[in-house]
This record gives sequence, structure tokens and C-alpha cells, in this order.
Amino acid sequence: MATRRDSLEADGERLMLAADRVDVTLPALRYPEGYTHLITSTIEEVCDIFIGLGYQVVGGPEAESGIYNFDALNTPPTHPSRLESDTLYLDWGDPADEILLRTHTSPMQARYMENHDPPVYVVVPGKVFRADTPDATHSPVFHQIEGLAVDENLTFSDLRGTLAYFARKFFGADRRIRMLPNFFPFTEPSAEMHASCFACEGGGDCRVCGGVGWIELLGCGMVDPNVFEWVGYDPSKVSGFAFGMGVERIAQVRHGVSPLRHFFDNDLRVLSQFR
Amino acid sequence: MRVSFNWLADYIDLPTWESGAVAAVLESLGHEVEEVESLTPQFDGVVTARVLEVAPHPRADRIRVCRVTTGDEPMTVVCGAWNFEAGATVALALPGSTLSGGMQIGRRSIRGVVSNGMICSERELGLGEDAEGILVFDADVPVGDDLAGFVALTDTVLDLSITPNRPDVMSYVGVARELSAYHQIGFRVPEPDFPQVEAAPRIGITIEDPSGCYRFTAREVQGCKVSPSPFWMQTRLRASGQRPISNVVDITNYVLLELGQPIHAFDLDELGGAGIVVRRARPGERLTTLDGVERALNASDLVVADRERASALAGTMGGGSSEVTDRTTSVLIEAAAWDPPTVLHMSKRHALRTEASARFERGVDPALPPQAAARAAELVTQLTGGQAVRQVTDVVAREDKLESVTISLEMKEAERILGPGFDTPRVVDLLSRLHLAVEGEDPVSVTVPTFRPDLTRPIDLVEELARLWGYDNFPERVPRGPGGGRSVIQRRTRTLRQALCGLGFSESVSLSFMRAGEIEIWGWESDDERAADIRLKNPLREEESILRTTLLPGLLRVAKYNYSHGLEDVAIFELGRVFLDRPHPTLPKVPDQPERIGVLATGRLGGTGLGLAQRSVDFFTVSAVWRALSNHLDLGEWRLAPTETAGWHPARAARLMLDGKTVGTMGEVHPAVVRRAELSGRVIAMEVELDPLVTERDHWQFRAPSVFPPYTFDLAFETPEELGADDLLAATGQAAGVLLESARVFDEFRGAPLAEGRKSLAINYTLRAPDRTLSGEETGEALRSMADAARQLGAELRGEL
Repeated sequence: MATRRDSLEADGERLMLAADRVDVTLPALRYPEGYTHLITSTIEEVCDIFIGLGYQVVGGPEAESGIYNFDALNTPPTHPSRLESDTLYLDWGDPADEILLRTHTSPMQARYMENHDPPVYVVVPGKVFRADTPDATHSPVFHQIEGLAVDENLTFSDLRGTLAYFARKFFGADRRIRMLPNFFPFTEPSAEMHASCFACEGGGDCRVCGGVGWIELLGCGMVDPNVFEWVGYDPSKVSGFAFGMGVERIAQVRHGVSPLRHFFDNDLRVLSQFR
Repeated sequence: MRVSFNWLADYIDLPTWESGAVAAVLESLGHEVEEVESLTPQFDGVVTARVLEVAPHPRADRIRVCRVTTGDEPMTVVCGAWNFEAGATVALALPGSTLSGGMQIGRRSIRGVVSNGMICSERELGLGEDAEGILVFDADVPVGDDLAGFVALTDTVLDLSITPNRPDVMSYVGVARELSAYHQIGFRVPEPDFPQVEAAPRIGITIEDPSGCYRFTAREVQGCKVSPSPFWMQTRLRASGQRPISNVVDITNYVLLELGQPIHAFDLDELGGAGIVVRRARPGERLTTLDGVERALNASDLVVADRERASALAGTMGGGSSEVTDRTTSVLIEAAAWDPPTVLHMSKRHALRTEASARFERGVDPALPPQAAARAAELVTQLTGGQAVRQVTDVVAREDKLESVTISLEMKEAERILGPGFDTPRVVDLLSRLHLAVEGEDPVSVTVPTFRPDLTRPIDLVEELARLWGYDNFPERVPRGPGGGRSVIQRRTRTLRQALCGLGFSESVSLSFMRAGEIEIWGWESDDERAADIRLKNPLREEESILRTTLLPGLLRVAKYNYSHGLEDVAIFELGRVFLDRPHPTLPKVPDQPERIGVLATGRLGGTGLGLAQRSVDFFTVSAVWRALSNHLDLGEWRLAPTETAGWHPARAARLMLDGKTVGTMGEVHPAVVRRAELSGRVIAMEVELDPLVTERDHWQFRAPSVFPPYTFDLAFETPEELGADDLLAATGQAAGVLLESARVFDEFRGAPLAEGRKSLAINYTLRAPDRTLSGEETGEALRSMADAARQLGAELRGEL
């Protein structure tokens, strides 16, 4: 009897479950989804790489004084970057203080070193501003990540090794880097760092590097002794390096987002692509 | 700077002229190659020909009939240009030839005269822009030669971007000097050697302003005949990006490119009086520069003036009145050294950036003027037939600028920055290759020539060592910092972002600006901190002229952008700074710029699905977002207080109170604001100060879940309309004390049988003790005190306990 009943019940359940059939491909329910902006996720990823190397992440003011944006960084009053054609100035405060929108994240080098003793290992992500009219490759606002390491016995090799480490973490393990001499007031020696293209082997018509085989990534160099002196460090005791990369630039290179306005239009069809 | 290989070869014999290899060497030295250009003749079948005679066309006024020869039988060619006569040597495109742009030349009849080809202009040959007349060669050019072969039209040109610290490389000789250091080979500098006549210079030089002019060298050449420069010079100038004008002007450009010393040539007879004065401009003084623009000068402009008036903007551009023209016979050659900032600011103020100003603003070697003036005088005598006056006027106002700098460099300093291996032999070798005089062993004493104004400190030499050694020849080493990771604030900010994304909001990033009047639609009073904005001194566009005082306008812009692209369901947030017209609380001199979190949504939000009602956003959406955030961030005491504030729905907005302070506003945006923002439907928003949300809080503490059974019941209260549900929940919850596990509003009701101004709230409570099963007595006591607490707020229990 018991067996007979079990079997009937099992048949009944089978029929019931069969009637429960659904189209498994039907997207019947959708949870709300929101996405972190590519600028933020790029900053987080780069910061994570440097946190792994023992760096800390610090921020700083976007409305700055000429003192930190220029003077502290060995940029003399006659330097062309201080002209109104390059820098956005604010109609605020004492005109002698040259209150402006910071043109780079580098002022935090001075602000941080002023208030901390070496060793210093920090990255500074944030908004920066230039007197540029928006077009395919320019925006009056973009983002940078500054890196600063100051310690005893840091040499050019430490700069080179750190940048190569970053390039491999961010663009892939096979990346090589090259460094070309350049000029920035607050580093010496100064360099521009390129990473080998991840999309091609050089030559041809590469979307990423234009066939050059190298991608220009960032400016960098050994901290100029004048900057150390300004913040009260003894340039004969410490040495260090600094670098500054464009967030949109590295994100653009890796994900092909172009033109630049797609970072700032906040079109939901673009935002929902950001992962 | 455009560098032609044909021209560069005058100064250096490179081991290879393969363009990629040369470019790679220059780049490794820090001179970016922006473009490599291969120049090839754009024509085929064009030969040089001599014009034998020129006659009018029998049936046309504007064209002429020429008899020309290429060495053989003379032939007839019809030509529309008038800038030549019999005896000229010209470029003749023979029948069957091809010109720039693919134009085919044949034999054809022009108004009844058969033309055997065409006499060409620069433009027709693809050599330049000049189409005014035909190209006329120097008389000594052989006739009958294939034009493509006879001049150096096949060339490679590198377009170099020279960094502002290296004025010494902005010339052919400078580029050759850099390459010579790399390849460890010699290079050649022109050594002027030319006939000169004895004569007293007609013009004296006075430097009134030594702060602006370090040195002024002048040479006079008499009896010049101004005419087009020879084709070889024109070709070199064109390849280097210069347009040929006349022999004298072309020579100034040639010497500028060759040596890096800008040269200016004055028509000596047009300079008023017997002297040149270098001075600052006088009030109200005006000068018409060579580009034809009349410029109002001010006291910071430096001018080269004759007795009467300014005749050139120092180091920037000459004036029209003393311009060299084809009537000029006597030339004054100026080679000067100007103060770089003076020239920089002059060229910026007058929006006049020239090849000369680009060099002077970086700093031209003050030792160079005599050599450059001599080179220019040599070329002027050679190409114009003029006679150079031997006597040179060379006024040095700043001897100090001619002194070379000596720098002492210790090997340990080099190794401290560059790493091991930079010992005396290597350092001496590298620095010597750069033409620096090196003495001693450790430290070495390095004498820097005046053409390297960038080298003043030991670290500058360290950079030179690294540069010449090769940045890519350094080993890689990765140093580690002391660590510490992200701060609490950074971690909590990330939690906030992730929570918002989880709730379906996407992050937006806006430019931090507003346009004038953009916030007017919100109707804020003029004393509102959001109306007191900070303006840019030099905005480029109206859209970016004011710093944002709130995130709301940017969020509305994003909603509008998406709405106008057919995306009606928008849910976004932004995290960023606003700028307020008050001092920063901790940083001196800069304005306050606190971070805010802004949220905005319109349209439908939340899960969608078959059979699910689509809920449009309203006040409760934004308050629910806040409630979720407060849980994710474990915020302490907070409260929503109804508020009637400009820009917000008067009955659907709340101030957010956290730990007793107002930290933000949320609610539905006022329908009038929504309309003015060109949106429709309900728009919800929230703007909250970031600091209080992410600041470090005490760690949360664990509460063990009870294993005893719960006591669950529903209470319905009739309350005054004004009583907030949160207040009722708080009061009844407090009355229930430690026994309260949860309380949840599940119904709100207005209307009959309730009186006007009354509403009903139904709440589901769960009580539970940690250590026992609750007795009937205990639950009854709890219910009574909850009802009492509600009564204190004017809320009556509906029905009996």
C-alpha cells in the first residue's frame, strides 16, 4: 500500500512540476544596475597597484595658490605655464596669491612633504584644470595621478623599475618601457615614459599606437633639489622620484574611449559600458 | 624645428642617414621627432630652359609668346606670367611631362599659337605657394638639365620638438652638436671669410636698457642689390618651413636656422638719424610691424628705435618703415641678445610668436651675435654683390652674461642620483662629449659654455650624464614604501560609491563649472552660499566661467543630456568638490572646497520585470536610497526634517540631520525647476556633505541573535498629519526598550472614517528577549508603554490592546 501511495504521489508531483515549465531564456526580472565611472575605477586600479608597493593615497585642494602650483615646484614667475593662456585663474582672494585651478596634481608633492618627514611614498589622484577649449583631445578638466617617492638612496633605477612595474601591472606582463629625456621644472633628470604597445608589435596601422609600437604614458623624473629645499628637506640627504599620469589618457589607451568628451558627457549608454 | 638632411649634412657626417635611425638617436637625446617627412619632386619631365626672346601675343593682351631653348633648337612657348624677360632661366615642362597634382602637359594651341609645353611657377611644381609669377633661376644655372636631378629636391625632413630648456638645439649647428656628442664624431661650424671694406659705420648703437638687451652687434653692407635668393637657398628654406622672400631677408632666416641666432636686417637709409637706441617703448608709442599690424606699445615693450621712432619690436618682429625692399641698397644687420622673459611677454602680449621670439624667449647664446652677424654679412656680400664694412659695432651691456659658469660635481652626487658606475672616467667622458670643459678628478670642475644656459647646478650635469648614457641603459629596481593602505575615509568613500552603484545609480563625472545664470532656475536668495560663486578671471567659454557651488546643476545637465538622447530613466550620482566663497577651514589662502555627494534620478527606477509594476521615482525613492546608505555606512543618529526651501517641492523635501547637524537636502525637485531644466515628470535629488558620512566612526558591536521565540504584532495609530513616522517609530521603539527587535510601517491611510488632518499608520513590531521566552505580562506591559509613548505625540491607538 505504502509503495503504491508513494508512487502515486511521485507521479502527481511530476505532473505538477511539468506544468511549472518556464522559458529559461526569458529575461523576466532585471535588478537595477549602476556603474562606477571609468575615471574612478582607473584611479582605484592604479592606486591599488601602488598600495601594493607600500604607497599611501592622499588628496589635495583643486583651487590652489600659485605658491604651491608653481613656486614650490621650481617654476619661476616668468615661466610660460603661468600665463593666462595656459592656467585658469580665480577672481578670489589676494591677487598676489594667484589663486588658480591647479594645473597638475604636483602641488601635493610640496604640501605633503611640508607636513611629513621622509620616507614618503604617496600617490595623489585628482582633478586638474587647463585653459583648453573642449575638443577631441582636450578638456578644461581632466584627471591625473601623481606619484612621489622620497627616501635615502633612491636612484634613477628605482624610478625606472617602478614605472616598468606599473606598466606591466596595468597593461600586461609583457610590457617593456622606454624613457626619453624631457623637461619639467620640478624634476631633474626628467623623462617621458613610453610603454610598448599591447595591441601590436609595431608597424602597421595600429589603433592604439598608430604603428609606432610605443605608447606615450606619462612624465616623470628625479625630484629637483630646489623642490626639496622649498619643503625643508636636505637635498644632500634624500633623493626621490615623481611621476604624473593622465587618467583619461591611460583609460583611453586601454579601452579605446574616444573622443575625450565621452568621459564627461555621462551618456548612460557610455556609463553602462564602464566595468 | 624642421631639419632637412640635405642641409644638416653641411655640418656633420653621420654614420647613417637612415631617417628612422637618426630620429631614434635624437629622441634618445630628448628631442622628440613629431614627424618624418620624405620630400620628393612632385613633377617629371621638367627641364631648365633659357628665354631667348619675349614677344606680345598677336591675338591676346595678357599672355606673351616666348622663344626658349633647352640647348637644342629654340621652341615657342606661350606664357601668362610677366615677371621675367629675355635672358631668364626658367623651368620648362615639356610636352609629355607631369606636374604637381598630376597635371599632364601636352603641345597645344593657345589663341592660334602652338605652345611646346609650359613655363612653371613654384606652385605648379609643388615647391611652394607662390603662383604670382613663374620660377626664375639664377643666371648661372645650366640649361637643359632635368630639374628633378639638378637641385636637392629629394630630401628627408625631421620635425623636431625642442624642449624649452634647450635653445641651443634650435639650429642646424645645434642639432649637429647633439649628434656629434652621441656618435662621438666631429661637426663643422661655418667660419665666415669674405672681403670687407674700410669705412666708418654710419649708425651708432646705444643700449639704454641693459635689463632687456645684453648685447647688440651691428654690421653694415653697402651697395646691395635685393633680388630673389638663389634656388639652393630657397629650397633649403622651404624644406625648413620658411617661405623665400628676397635674398637679404632669406639670409636672415638662413642664419637663424643655421646658427640659432635670429638676425634682423634694416634698410640703412630708412633709419632716421645716425643712431639706434634700444629702449622701452614710450607712452602712446605705436609701431606697424612687418605683418602690417599697427600695434599700441606699452612701457614693458622693448624696441629698437632710431632717433625718431621705434623701428622694431626687440627680438620679435621688425617694423614696416625700415623693412628691406627691392629698392634697398644699404643694409644694417642686427644680431642681438635679448632678455628672455622680456621677449616672451612681448610676444604673448602681442600674440606674435615668430621664429626669432621662439628662440629669444628661451635664451640665445650671448656669445653668438658677432659670429652670426659675420656669417650674415658674408652671405649678403656673396648673394647681393654688396660690400661689407669691416668695422663692426658690438655693444655689450651685460658682460656678466658672457661669463661661463663653472660647476663642481662630486662622483658620489652623481652616483647618489644615478646609481653605481658613474665614476670619474665615465663622467669625464660623457661631459667632454657634450663640449663641456672638464678638469680634476673628484670633484670634477666643469666649465659650461654660454650656449648651455640650462646648466647651472650639479644636478643639471647629472641629467646630462643620464641623457647621454641613455635612460634605457639603467637597470630596473622597485623600491617599497612603508605601506598603510587606504585610510578609513577612503575606504568608507568607496563603500558609499559601491552602495550607490548597487542601488542602480551610475557615477557621473562633470566638469566643475557652471555657466552664468545656470543656478537661477533654483530661485536661491542672493545671500545663499550657492549663489555667491567664484568666477574665473580668464574663462575660455561661458559654459566654464564659474566654479560650481553645488553638484545639482551638473546632475541636471546630465539628466537633460540623456533625456534629449531618448533616455528617460536616469539614475546618477556624482562625488566631487564644490567651491564656496569663504576661506578654507584649514588651508591658508585658498577658498573652501568641500566634497559633496549628489544623487539624481528621474523616470523609473528599481527592478523591472514581467508582471512587476513600473514604479516612477518619487520622494520615497530618494529617502530609501538614503536609508540604504545609512545602513551601509553604519551612520549614527539621523533624522529627516520636512523643509520648504527654494528649488525643492514644498511638500516633498527634507533636510537631513546627522548627529544633530544639517548635512544635506533631499526630495523632489520643484516642478518649476524641472520645467526650466527642460525635463519632465518627477525628478528626485539629494546633495549631502561627504565628510560627515565617511568620517571614522566607532566600530559597530555584535548583538547575538536570540534563540527564544519572537512576539510579533501589529499596531495601528491615528496621528496628526504633521507627525513624522520616524518620530512615532522612535518613540514607540524607545518605550519597548531592549525587547524591540524590529518595527516596520506597512500601511499609511487618510480619509473617512478619519477626521480631516488625521492619518493612520500601521506598524508591525517584533519583540524578543535575548535570554527567555517573553511572558504575557511582559508583552502586555511593553504594549501599554508603547501606546503611552505614542499618545505623548498625539497618536491614538486604533482599537483595543
